[in-house]
Amino acid sequence: MPHIELDHIGKSFGTTNVIRDFNASIADGEFLVLLGPSGCGKSTLLRMIAGLGDITRGILSFDGRRVNDWTPSQRGVAFVFQSYALYPHMTVRENIAFPLVMDAFRKWYHIPVVNTVMRWKLMRRADIAERTARIAEQLELTALLDRRPANLSGGQRQRVALARSLVRDPSLYLLDEPLSNLDAKLRTQMRAEISTLHNRVRKTFIYVTHDQVEAMTMATKIIVMNKGEIQQIGTPDQIYSDPANTFVARFVGAPPMNLLDVATARGTVSIPGGPSWGHEAAPENALMGIRPENLVLNPEGDGPIPVEVVVVERLGAETIIGCRILSDRRDQRFLDTDLVFVRVQGNPRIVAGTRYALSYAAEDVRWFDRATGAAIPHATALPNCA
Amino acid sequence: MTYLSRTLHALLILFLVVFGGFPIYWMAVTALSTNAELYNTGQVWWPQIGNLPMLLADLADVPLVRWLANTAIVAVGTTLLSLTLGALAGYALSRFRFHGKGVIGFLLFMTQVVPEALILVPLYAMFISLGLMNSLGGLILANVGFSLPVAAFIIKGAIDAVPYEIEEAATIDNCPRFGVLTLIILPIIAPSLAAAAVIAFFAGWNEYLFAATFLMDNTHWPASVGLASFIGQYETPLSAVMGAALIFSLPAVLFFLIIQRKIVAGITSGAVKG
Repeated sequence: MPHIELDHIGKSFGTTNVIRDFNASIADGEFLVLLGPSGCGKSTLLRMIAGLGDITRGILSFDGRRVNDWTPSQRGVAFVFQSYALYPHMTVRENIAFPLVMDAFRKWYHIPVVNTVMRWKLMRRADIAERTARIAEQLELTALLDRRPANLSGGQRQRVALARSLVRDPSLYLLDEPLSNLDAKLRTQMRAEISTLHNRVRKTFIYVTHDQVEAMTMATKIIVMNKGEIQQIGTPDQIYSDPANTFVARFVGAPPMNLLDVATARGTVSIPGGPSWGHEAAPENALMGIRPENLVLNPEGDGPIPVEVVVVERLGAETIIGCRILSDRRDQRFLDTDLVFVRVQGNPRIVAGTRYALSYAAEDVRWFDRATGAAIPHATALPNCA
Repeated sequence: MTYLSRTLHALLILFLVVFGGFPIYWMAVTALSTNAELYNTGQVWWPQIGNLPMLLADLADVPLVRWLANTAIVAVGTTLLSLTLGALAGYALSRFRFHGKGVIGFLLFMTQVVPEALILVPLYAMFISLGLMNSLGGLILANVGFSLPVAAFIIKGAIDAVPYEIEEAATIDNCPRFGVLTLIILPIIAPSLAAAAVIAFFAGWNEYLFAATFLMDNTHWPASVGLASFIGQYETPLSAVMGAALIFSLPAVLFFLIIQRKIVAGITSGAVKG
């Protein structure tokens, strides 16, 4: 299994830089998720690792060997495409066996007509047939082996694509948004199946997605990207609990981290034109970040931040409450950026228009530099806010 | 579909069948008529099977089988060469980026604007220089010159519609570029290949102008030139001409019937969401 190093990797299309100076190290057996919004360069990076796209700058190495100029097959990778990229004229069995058949192909087998005969012959070779059947059984595709992709559901096609990537037993699996074409229920199921697969094969997985739920649930390590640059590298817990900047804070989490535009002075935090309250060690010129589940909704007057409920989203096991901080500011709009979100367990009787007060524990607050957006290292175990 | 629209639909199909099929029927009726009927007493409207021995006797001295074989060689040769080169050209035009790609595409297109008759004389000079006169191979080359650009454009259009990811998947699966074309792309675009094959085949099958100019020896004639040779200065045996023409058209009809299922499958394959 290769240890992958991306050393100052860059990619340009003409004068447009898509990826700038990307540095990362991916350990054996890791489940790395490249997470970022559409157009951030994560798929481009994955294609460069696969050998499907040229590397403009930098060095990509597998186990210390430079592989920039290696073909995809030399790199020994498996790639699962967003659109599955199954061969529509072949049956499921032929699709799964294709990589094995190609490995057994000699150059002269590619002569037209000879290629059809040899493919037919190789499909019947004992080792190829046995391995195809075994992989199909693992992914519950045995009953579908003689069907064509057009006669399969989205989930089944996805499993065929996975089976085709598994069959050659590669050392590196690259998955490019493989679940984005599935419905929500199937996505949850396939998420679990891919995680199980990773635990079973213990190979390196690099998974591209813009869905932070997929990233949080499957990854052992996440790289958050934006505009071709790394925003943060860390475990799912680190990414969620200690975002490196406001982009990560807002991108990861649903609803995202609340970023309050506060003024701080001498141990006091205040919303311009609104309430103020005590908060020790609050840095200056900083945005106050706090996750929705770390805010507590109290009866009116029983907390430092008076709010009015604007939106109530009942999700069954939990409820998301969008609140507006009561202030004298007249330019306040009912936009996401202005609302403070609170996550509460269960389905409490809360209605829009009711007034409450919010409180929080000081150690749950993360501070971000107002100018750069970078996280300010926080002191832990501070006393609760006044 | 209402009863009225079903009836109109059926009537329209019936009209098209009669419109398309009548010339073939009339060819059969004429072939089984006597020349006396055709020139003097008037033609009957139905085939007279009793005249079949007379027709066969008229055609007995004509090297029809040889002419048909020559036509088949030209048609099949034109089709195979056009599809082989057209697939390579279409793939290159669709997938590769290179200098002059637009110019090449334009020049290929321009070959369709130039009428065959216009290049007959220069081609004649070239054929003499290359020693291709009186050869079926030369005739195939001349035909390919006209059917290859059409085949290349049809194939290019079809390859454009194949998602590039499928090719990338094949590359990941250790399939070389030529294998991608022959094992993946060409089977996927089979309906378009069939359409290109029909065009190339009929261009070769119906070839007359080049054949009449470049083939002097009547053993090399395709059926089209052979049929034309029936027309004499004082007499044209119409029933024999029509009988030969009928035999000449049957293999072409058969070829189309075999291949049309592929074409229809191609037309309808995108209609239902997979």
